[in-house]
Parts: sequence; C-alpha cells; structure tokens
Amino acid sequence: MDTTIIGISLAVFMLLMLALGVWVSLALFGVGVLGLLLSGNDQIGLLFATSTWGASTSWSLTALPLFIWMGEVLFRTRLSEDLFKGLSPWLSGLPGKLLHVNVLSCGIFAAVSGSSAATAATIGRMTLPELKAQGYSDRMAVGTLAGSGTLGLLIPPSIILIVYGVAAEVSIGRLFIAGALPGLLLVSLFMGYTIIWALLNKDELPKHDKEHVSFAAKLKALRLLLPIMGLIGFVLGSIYGGLTTPTEAAALGVVGALFLAAVTGSLDMSSFGESLTGAVKSSCMIGMILAGAHFLTLAMGFLGIPRALAEGIGQLSLSPGVLLIYLTVLFVALGCFLDGISVVVLTVAVVLPMVQQAGIDLLWFGIYIVLVVEMSQITPPVGFNLFVIQSLTGKNILYVARAALPFFLLILFAVILIYLFPEIVTYLPMSMSQR
Amino acid sequence: MRSLLDKLYLVSGYLSGFCIVLITTIITAQIVGRLFGFIVPSAEDFSGYALAAATFFGLAYTFRQGGHIRVTLVIQHWTRGSRYIQELIVLLFALFLVSFMSFYSVHMVWESYIFEEVSSGYVSIPIWMPQVPVALGIVMLNIAILDDVIALLKRKSPSYRVHEGELHLEEI
Repeated sequence: MDTTIIGISLAVFMLLMLALGVWVSLALFGVGVLGLLLSGNDQIGLLFATSTWGASTSWSLTALPLFIWMGEVLFRTRLSEDLFKGLSPWLSGLPGKLLHVNVLSCGIFAAVSGSSAATAATIGRMTLPELKAQGYSDRMAVGTLAGSGTLGLLIPPSIILIVYGVAAEVSIGRLFIAGALPGLLLVSLFMGYTIIWALLNKDELPKHDKEHVSFAAKLKALRLLLPIMGLIGFVLGSIYGGLTTPTEAAALGVVGALFLAAVTGSLDMSSFGESLTGAVKSSCMIGMILAGAHFLTLAMGFLGIPRALAEGIGQLSLSPGVLLIYLTVLFVALGCFLDGISVVVLTVAVVLPMVQQAGIDLLWFGIYIVLVVEMSQITPPVGFNLFVIQSLTGKNILYVARAALPFFLLILFAVILIYLFPEIVTYLPMSMSQR
Repeated sequence: MRSLLDKLYLVSGYLSGFCIVLITTIITAQIVGRLFGFIVPSAEDFSGYALAAATFFGLAYTFRQGGHIRVTLVIQHWTRGSRYIQELIVLLFALFLVSFMSFYSVHMVWESYIFEEVSSGYVSIPIWMPQVPVALGIVMLNIAILDDVIALLKRKSPSYRVHEGELHLEEI
C-alpha cells in the first residue's frame, strides 16, 4: 500500500480512538500495532516487548517519578499559603499589587507541581476570593490566573521537558537550563502587561491609599519564601553548574521537600502515603504514554512515514519560519483536546525528522513546543485551563476565554521573540558546564 | 473474590510506590557515595529497573483510579445508552490489546530465562528478574480491564469513571 494512504488511515484511526475515549497510552500502542500490521511485519509482539522494555528502563527517565513525587510532597505542605503571604509585601509597590502575586505564585507553584491545571485550581481557590474582597477587577484576576497557570510548563523542573527530552533524545539538563530565560521572559511579559493595564485602568483597582510596608515586614515575609526559592534555585543551580544530573537533582529535591514538609509539620504517615500514591498515578500514566510513543515511533520508522514527510517538506522547500507557523497551528489545534504530554509524544513520533530536515535545532524546538503547548492550554474558547477556571469561578466559558486572551497573545509574542532571537533559548545551555 | 481483587490492585499500587522510594534511595546513596568516596555498583541500571517496575506495577492501580488520561471532550455529553456502547467498545478494544501485550511480555521474560540473558552492567544479573515486574504489571492491568468489562456487562459503572472529573495533579 502507498505510504500516503497508510499514513492517512493511521491518523484517522488515531483520532477516532482518541475521540471515542480510548486511553491515550493504549491508543498509541494500538496505532503502532496497526501500522506494523499494515507494513506486513510478523514480529509485532517481539518488537512490542523489546521496545517497551527499552523505553521504560531508560536512565534519564528516572528523573520523572522523582520530580513528580517532589511536587506531590510540596503540594501537601502550606506552600500555596506561604507563597501568597510571602510575596504580597514585596509586590505592594507595583501598580496592580495583588495581581502580581497571582502571576508569581502561580509561576512558582506550577514550577514545582508541574501542572498548570492543579496550579490554577490551588492558587485560584486562595487568591480569587481575596482579590474580589479587595475590589480588584474580576476579569483581570481570572486572566492572570489562567495565563500564569501555564507558566509552570516551562519553568524547571518541568515534567513536559523531561518527556520531550526522553522522546527526542535531547539532554534533559540542557533543556531545563534552556527553559530558564524564556520562562523569565514570560513572567516579565505578564507582569509588564499587568503594570500597564493597572496604570490605564485605575478605576478597576482598589481605591485605598498606598499602605507602606516596613522593611522588617518584608524581611519577615521573605522567610516564608526562602525554603521554596532555595529548593528551586538549588535544583537548577546544581544542574547548571554541572554538579548533578537532573535525576540526582530530583532525588535531592525529594529529600529536600520531605525535609521541608517535616519541619513545617505537614508530614505524617497519611500525607506521605497520599503523596506517594499521587506520584504513582502520574508517573505510571506518563511512563505508559512514553512507552506507547516509543513503540509508535518504531512502527512509524518501519513504515517510513516520518522520512516521507520530511522529504515531502524538503521538496516544498518551506522556510523554517513558514514550517513553524504551520506546526504552531497544528499544535494549538491538537492542544485543544489533548493534554500537553500527549501532544509532545505524538509530535516527536512523526514530526521530528521533518524539523531536523528544515535545519531547526532540537533543543530550541523543545522550548518552542512547550511554549506552544502552554498557549494551547488557554486557546479561546476551548483550552484545557479555561475549563478548570470555569469550574472554579462558575463564570461563563466565553468570559474566561476573553479574560485569558491577552495572555494568550503574550505567549504568542514570546514565541515570536524566541524565533527572532534564538539566543534567548540557546545562550545559557551553551555556557553551562559540560558533564 | 471482590475483596481479593481490590487487595490485588492496592498491593500493586503500593509496590509501585515502594519502587519510587527505592529509586530515590539508590540515587541519594550514589550522591552521598560520591562525597565520601564509595560507589553504588550499577546504580543507573538498578534505578532503571526500579523505574520499569514502578511504571508497570502501578498500571492496574492507576487504571482503577482513573489515572490514565483519555479525551472525554467528545463523549461527555452523550446519552446514557450511547455512553454504554461507547464504554463497551473502548473496554473490549483495551482488553484485546492488553491481552496481546500480556502474552508477549510474559513471553519476553520466558525467553530471557531460557536463553539465560544477563545485564551488561558492572553487576550482571539475569535479565528476567527485573523483567518479571513488567510482565506481572501488564497481566494485572489485563485483569483490571476484564474486571471492568464484567462490571459493565452487569450494568455497573466501570471503576475508572468514579474518579474521572476529579482534578488531579497529573492533568497538565
């Protein structure tokens, strides 16, 4: 059979299964099996076994359950409360005050919990009532929450970057470091927009005069922030400095998180058990998806689909920029009904040779794809994050989508920036010590 | 039977959690070892095996808890009758696929055993040993799926649907 026909029928089969509610990991395996059947392979079972065994014992993947567990432990401490209380005094001088607390605490919380939806839910539950009580604009409160919830996908330790690194065989340590500057860029874009908005819309902010926060109070608040900032700084710093591999940093992160939880008194047998079963569920789900993606990539290789696609694109002689525009549209569309991890693994199985053919750096592409996935989480009016916030606030989905739209555009702007200035992504990894 | 099965799923979940603790311990020991000048032999291999065990032991438990993600956007507003047929199709497909996977993962362990394959690291162990958890895990997932097929045929709600719709950390 012709590769084009096989390719199209496999894609249709995949979409049909996903739409029908087949579990993503099983759908990946299913399409892999079908693909190998169509290519006339008679060793499918053996290929499945060796590919799965190889994919699930990979050393670099061991960082995954550990970072997830670290997040689960911290999630059960008073982290969200401490962030709110610790950040507020520091940000009270900026126009927009508490809105910045929303942005920053979401960013930090999402970085450790690794989930934008859980972040929006946890931080939102705490900050939304507070913002409302103080008389902030509802729309802006919801918008900053939706936008910043996605920040965590990029700020290390990012689960999705581990998934990309393992699937695309790019160094996870370098990916983490590469994500740092774009992450900061996004945070400054969000905060910059909030400041400008606050200056233009004074009537939608609380009226009361400037409350002066004493320096002593600020220092006291800093104490609440130190442990968590220390933990993130330590994990990143030790990878950047070449002291540890990401996996080792993750193990130390778990130990550090358990220590923090013990010191703050939120660690007991039941919370320990809950954090561990939570980690089991997430890492098992992701591990299985990665095994499925590995098998699918293998099947695709047998069929020659990625190669044919790469050649086809090569003949069209698209510029990388045009190719990226097409890919962005594709990813945003996929991200409307799939979660970020599934988008990444599906892409890697098919699109990567094409991207390499076009001369795009795979490290840069990893950061790009995460940014686009972030964007797709708040795509109006169907992004996944929007649904979370809708259920949290009880507002109409269109209202939430409109509130999140500026932040969607800001992420798009960040994507354009890293395209025009790829050094934002590549500078730090180029300068990090090798290990 | 019911309580026995539930215990099986729970134990598989605990085993998976134990493996994650094991990975943490191995890697922390390696770091401490580097500071004090001793080596944990084949630490990378063993944490890799523990990772595979963690992933596959956790399959059945995660399945019952509704932890494996799927797209519910299309099906969530269907009527009860069409949802019944849809879940039946999905479960039967899963049963078919996972049975295939079970067979070949057990087959893999069996071949490694017969051909006496050993791992290539510093400490070499028979490779079938760390492969057993993978095969066991898939077989337990197979049992869990069969369990839900039967439940559905008895017109009960499948286990994973109980927890769907809750907000989990893993929903990125």
